[in-house]
Amino acid sequence: MSTISDMLPRHFGPYGGRYVPEMLVPALEELEQGYLKYKDDPEFTAELADLYQNYCGRPTPLYFAENLTRELGGCKIYLKLEGLAHTGAHKINNALGQALLAKRLGKTKVIAETGAGQHGLASATVAARFGLECKVFMGEVDVRRQYPNVYAMKLLGAEVVPVTDGTRTLKDAVNATLKYWIQNLKDTHYILGSALGPFPYPVMVRDFQSVIGREARAQIMEREGRLPSHLVACVGGGSNSIGLFHPFLGEKGIRFHGAEAGGRGPEIGDNAARFGGSPKVGIVQGYKSYFLQDESGQLQDTHSVSAGLDYAGVGPELAWLFDQNVVEFSPITDVKALDAFKRLTRLEGIIPALESSHAVARAIELAPTLPRDEIMIVNISGRGDKDIFITAMELDRENWIAFLENEVRHGK
Amino acid sequence: MENRIDLALKEAKGIQLMTHVVAGYPSLNVNADLIRLMARRGVRLVEIQIPFTDPLADGPTIMRANQAALDAGITPAHCFELCAALSRELDVAFMLMTYANIPYALGMEAFLDKAAASGASGTILPDLPWDEADGDYAQAARQRGLHPIMVISPDTPAPRLAGILERASGLLYTTLKVGITGAGTSMDQAGVDYVKALKAKAGLPIAAGFGISRPEHVRMLDGLADVAVIGSHIINLMDADGLGAVDDFLAACQE
Repeated sequence: MSTISDMLPRHFGPYGGRYVPEMLVPALEELEQGYLKYKDDPEFTAELADLYQNYCGRPTPLYFAENLTRELGGCKIYLKLEGLAHTGAHKINNALGQALLAKRLGKTKVIAETGAGQHGLASATVAARFGLECKVFMGEVDVRRQYPNVYAMKLLGAEVVPVTDGTRTLKDAVNATLKYWIQNLKDTHYILGSALGPFPYPVMVRDFQSVIGREARAQIMEREGRLPSHLVACVGGGSNSIGLFHPFLGEKGIRFHGAEAGGRGPEIGDNAARFGGSPKVGIVQGYKSYFLQDESGQLQDTHSVSAGLDYAGVGPELAWLFDQNVVEFSPITDVKALDAFKRLTRLEGIIPALESSHAVARAIELAPTLPRDEIMIVNISGRGDKDIFITAMELDRENWIAFLENEVRHGK
Repeated sequence: MENRIDLALKEAKGIQLMTHVVAGYPSLNVNADLIRLMARRGVRLVEIQIPFTDPLADGPTIMRANQAALDAGITPAHCFELCAALSRELDVAFMLMTYANIPYALGMEAFLDKAAASGASGTILPDLPWDEADGDYAQAARQRGLHPIMVISPDTPAPRLAGILERASGLLYTTLKVGITGAGTSMDQAGVDYVKALKAKAGLPIAAGFGISRPEHVRMLDGLADVAVIGSHIINLMDADGLGAVDDFLAACQE
């Protein structure tokens, strides 16, 4: 017998699922039923499409990177410019979809976790737009290192709650948000920011982010009359990558590349490369997937120059695509990411987010090895303005510190 | 199957206390002293939590205790040793409580073997639901003499509760929503009705937990639930005023 819940995949191979305390189950069931009801509802999809176009600036361009292509001397490189979407990253695609759903489910409050602040910013933005009360949980460490986004969230009317537990970064923000949700299920929707967590989040977030791949597919067909042979995206939790990849899955002759945070190197605690070394499956934060963990099952500390990739787990669908050898993952070190950041900026006049710079770095490794008639699409998931405090400190340290000191003196 | 959980409940007069310790917090030695003290005060049901980096169902107090224990180098092996030593020494039913990834990393069968070998009487794995592939461990637990203790809430939908009741044994642990005011504590009629209906339906002793922090909270449950769960309050007392404060509190709860 087919039931309504068969219509949404709860698992991807052995991964995914809904590994949560019973207290959370009713809310997740309500969300599952709500998403099933509205996802193909003509009014819902029309409203979302209108917001994508007129509020977010979609479709985002698919840009032929002529200079980068020439310099690397290999395949043709196209860039999907998600950084040109409203709020500067792909995160808005999902936040808008979930906010529309929250409204239809009668919720008046939204909560969200954030690492780098991009998802928090997107959530605060949609909350402002739809008149929803908004709390964003953010690790204390991230609050300190991503203050521009904290400021923007507050400006938008959201309350930013610093999380002081555990490593005080993204994973602890997820825990804190889930716990708050357990206590406030009736009027609150949790806008989870990546394609992970308990069912139905992995499938719902993927669906909202698939607008990236659908657009890219139509755009490349229009420009080139054929599909690309390579897709490249950075992978933290994996929402921008699965969003780009999903509409192309099943096509023959396409290779999918995920760039993970290689951080300072392969030592434990120095990276967030879940698929490097010997990947280990676990059950954490409501889902089964690959996690960076020790032999007892404790999650390990992670590091990346980009806060958005600094996470110990990865979305369950990507875990399954890894097992099937559909997506190949490579670690990109901080140094390589920063180098790619500089090269794209100088060659194309596009300043990518540090997360996206990992994808650019992978493209720089791959492109020279590929024939000139092949096509590659790289997802530039966000723009780099948000990283100014990190990149300036790395690349223009003395002048940047002088500027900051001067600002502080004036401010006082 | 009958083990120390069943015996403790069978021999009980009035409501039983079930207490909680985080293994390794503040140290294994203090854990042992604390549990001996609990046993002297007549506590026969004790949860030993194996610390985990991401304890999804725990509040801030227990979460911090988990982190501190991990920072001190506590591993699951230490927790099994603690349980083994104390279950030889004391007539207490120990329940090993932790999160899904700990048994998953070890292998569920190996985890249950170790739990049984350490003299535990039950396991509590709040983020491992029976309807997921690795979650249906109840029978494997019972084969080893362990009760699979399930945790539910008043909002658990009926079909899920049915699935849980097919598997649960020993006791059923439910969270409760209770109005706690400055002056005292009250359980509304809905709460009373819920526990009564649950007890009738479950055919199992009911343990209720809701952040119990005063002796009145325990008395309020007396005659209604079989067990009152005292979790984070014991850690708060111990951190603030030492083991003596825990002793006084447990004494007051049983007056």
